[in-house]
This record gives sequence, structure tokens and C-alpha cells, in this order.
Amino acid sequence: MSEKILIALPKGRLFEQTLALLARAGIHADETHKGSRRLTFTDDEGRFEFVCLKPVDIPVYVESGSIDAGVVGSDILRELESDVYEPLDLQIGKCRLSVAAPEGMTVSYDDALRVATKYPRTAERYFRSRNAHVHIVRLDGSVEIAPLLGLADVIVDLVETGRTLRENGMRIVEDVASVSAKMIINRTAMKMKAGPVSQLISQLDTVIYANT
Amino acid sequence: MENKLLGLPAGFRDVLFDEAKTRRIIEGKLAALFSAEGFREVSPSGVEFLELYARGNQNSRGRAVKFLDRDDHLLALRADFTPAIARLVSTRLATAPPPLKVWYAGNVFRKVDQKHGRFCEFGQIGAELIGLNSVERDAEIINLGMHALSSLGIKQIRIHINHAGIFRGIVGDLALDEKSLDLVKSEIDRKDIRGLLSRLQTLGIAPETRAQVSTLSTCVGSEEVLRTAAAAMRNDESRRAIDALVQLSSRLERWRDCITFDLAEIDEMEYYSGVMFTFFNPQLTSELGMGGRYDTLLREFGADMPAIGFSFSIDRLIESV
Repeated sequence: MSEKILIALPKGRLFEQTLALLARAGIHADETHKGSRRLTFTDDEGRFEFVCLKPVDIPVYVESGSIDAGVVGSDILRELESDVYEPLDLQIGKCRLSVAAPEGMTVSYDDALRVATKYPRTAERYFRSRNAHVHIVRLDGSVEIAPLLGLADVIVDLVETGRTLRENGMRIVEDVASVSAKMIINRTAMKMKAGPVSQLISQLDTVIYANT
Repeated sequence: MENKLLGLPAGFRDVLFDEAKTRRIIEGKLAALFSAEGFREVSPSGVEFLELYARGNQNSRGRAVKFLDRDDHLLALRADFTPAIARLVSTRLATAPPPLKVWYAGNVFRKVDQKHGRFCEFGQIGAELIGLNSVERDAEIINLGMHALSSLGIKQIRIHINHAGIFRGIVGDLALDEKSLDLVKSEIDRKDIRGLLSRLQTLGIAPETRAQVSTLSTCVGSEEVLRTAAAAMRNDESRRAIDALVQLSSRLERWRDCITFDLAEIDEMEYYSGVMFTFFNPQLTSELGMGGRYDTLLREFGADMPAIGFSFSIDRLIESV
């Protein structure tokens, strides 16, 4: 393993926020990646190398040790049950994982509900903890359409503003979990690259929790 | 059509030529070292009652590869060597005079998440010292492990050492129910200090106890962290555990540069009772092996004897040489 820390950044909704957070912590990622198709780039000081990946792949890379560290939503971590360290809540990408149902529907967990979700394991764990027997339908996107089309009774999905739900005639029944982005670290890298890794964590911790 | 005649089930693989040769060389070298140090080989059965894995270590029960025999008993392929050794010690070896020193090599089988590209069958080689509990015996086993790794020509060896009694001492007084304790353990396991402290606060844990946990989470480093930790601990069990590490440290002088005291870790296997340790090669992305003292596990099998041991992953050793 080299001493440079290899960090996975999530493409999509968290990407810009993550770069901004790193910049606030004094880690200036090379901006030349914009418009480029290269997937890796380094910071100005050459301490870190960044790789842009699909969020759902990040815990897999970090758990295996191919990548030392990463930024990923806690929704994905819980779903994959990844065996990694999560030393820091980055306080970005905050939203909720919620059960939602069509407006006007009375939801009773006594019925064998059909649940459409991108998070089958999380949903199953949750309903089992409520002693509810459900049928999980695993989908990959546009989950909120499933009840309208008769595929499922309710959904379990991320809710940020609730606008998508409203526009599709749905309401939140209850929250399964609150979600935010986490810094994750490979278990061996945490120990074998302890110096640079803890420096990274404390750099970020300082700016995130400056006012607490 | 899926070819089941020429394929292999997911999670399994064949080992050929160079890798097989290296494996045999490694096992040969370690066998010679272990027997020179007075350890005798045992080769436990490859199949056990699933019940064996229900004790001390919940993880290996869930992950065991299970099947039924003709009387519908639940059986499992060997999922872990230590419980099998415990079974042997409680039965055929029950009357052997202590210390009982054994070593073993063989494959274990565990169901793992295939999408992570891991294998379900992997080789382990290890040694156990049963019947005596003293800091000399702890040092003897750690020395044996370190010698084994250096005898294979592995240049950079690191060992992280901890003691189960430190954390146990802290939570001992908390009177947490099992669910809360699991939550606290999972926060520690994530190394999220802020999350841990706010969890402890939510559970109504006193500030001075939270301070102990907080200090512990920073205690990773040379012998100096033992002094830092000792100064912060407010309970006897944690202090005794730290003292045991100080004594152990003085007996491991020759490995000083390889040792990190890592008090921020908890016992994932849930059967260690004393010193516990993990071997690393910094060139690899996962650990070489681990071990520790498990003085209460054998009691569950009817033999109330202290024990300490370690095992290496043969695959990681092959990668290292």
C-alpha cells in the first residue's frame, strides 16, 4: 500500500457537496476533472488521490481494501451491511428513509403489505422489527410510481423535501431512519495508514463541527 | 444452460501448481517451528454439529455451511477451529496434564457475501496453548506467532495488541440491557467517536464514564498509550487489564518496533477474555491473522480451563511470501 490515501467520491447528489466540504477542510481537489472522462485525480498537495464512483459501489471497494476511504450515504451502508469503519458523520446529504403510502390509504401492518424499495434488506429488517409481515419488491428507481401502477401497496424510499411524494399523490407514513453522508475507512488502512488517515479525519472534523 | 458439470459453485476455487506448492512450503515451515516449540498437531473433524458454533461466537453459527444428516441432525462444515479444539480438550484431551500445546492446519467454510468477491473456503493455520494463564504464556504465544511470520521471510510485520478486560471493565458498571450494549458496541466498532458519545449520553451514561470511553478511543500507539489509558480508567478491571499489557510489553521487547497498542478496538469474535491481537502485513489490504486469550470459552464445553491461541489466514501468508 502506498502512503497516498485513495478516496472514493460519490457521483451524483453528494458529489459537489463533498468537494466543497473537502475544500473547506483545506483539501483542494484538482478541478481539471471537470469535463474530462478520467475517473481519478489528485489534490493540490498530492496527499490524496480521488476516484469517482457510483455510490453503491463505494463500500464494496473500501471494504475490500482496493480503496482506503470513501464518502457514502448511510442508507447504502446499512443496506449493504458493509464491514468498514465510519469515523465521521459528514453532516451533508441529510434526508430520511421513510415508509410512504398513497394519500387516503389507511396503512395497517397487520395486512401482508407489498413494499416496493431500492433497500430490500433495510426494509425487511425494519418491518421485522415492527413484527409486520411484508412482501418486498426490489426496484432500482422511480419507486414512488409502484403503488400507482398496482405493483406495491407502500414504498420505502429516501425523502429529501417530500416534493416527489406529493407530486405522485403519496404521503409519509413514518420514518425508518435518518440518513446522512459518512466518511468510511477500510479496516486495515485505518491501522496501517493510521497517521494520514487520522489527520484526514481530524481535518474534516474540525470544519464540520466548528460550531459545536 | 448453466454448466454444472464443468463449473464450480460461487465462492469456491481450485488451487494449482505454484500456489499449492507455496501453501505446502508455508505449512511445512510452520509445522517444523510449532513442533520445535513443543506444539503437537491435531486435525479436528471436518464436520461438526451446528450446535458447536452456537457457543461463544454467534457469527460463526450464522455463517456456517449447514446440512442435515440422515437422522435430521443439523450439521455444519468446519467454520472455525477454536470451538473444535475446545470440544477436543473437553473430551479426548480432558485428562492431559496442562499445558496442552496444539497446532492445526486446514480449511474452514463460511458463507460470505459473494458480491464482495470473497471465498467461502479458506485455509487457516494456528496454535493454541491450553490450561495455563500467565503473562509468560501470553508472551509465549505472541512470540510464537511473530517468529512464525518472520520465519516465512515476511519483512514488515505489525501486531496490534489489546485486552478485552479494558472495555469490559467500563461497561461492567453500566448495567446496560443487551440491546443498548449492542448499540454501544456497534458505535465503537464504527470508530465514530461523536456518534458513540452522543449514544452514551442518550443512554444516560455518567459523564465520567463517557470520558473513559472517549479517552480509550484515542489510545492507539506505542507503550505510552497504556499510561494514558491507565490514568483515565476509573474501574479496577480496566486498570488490571492495562497493567497486564504493561507486563506483557516488557516481555516482548524484541518486537517493540512491530507493536501497536490498540485499545480503541472491541472483540468482534466475542469470546476473548484477556489479551487479544491482530497480525498485519502493511503491504496487504487485510489482516494476516488474529488471536487472543479465551479463558471462559472452554467452560461452556465443560472444561474450565484457560487458553490462548492464534490463527493465520493461509491465503494472506501466500500473498506475503
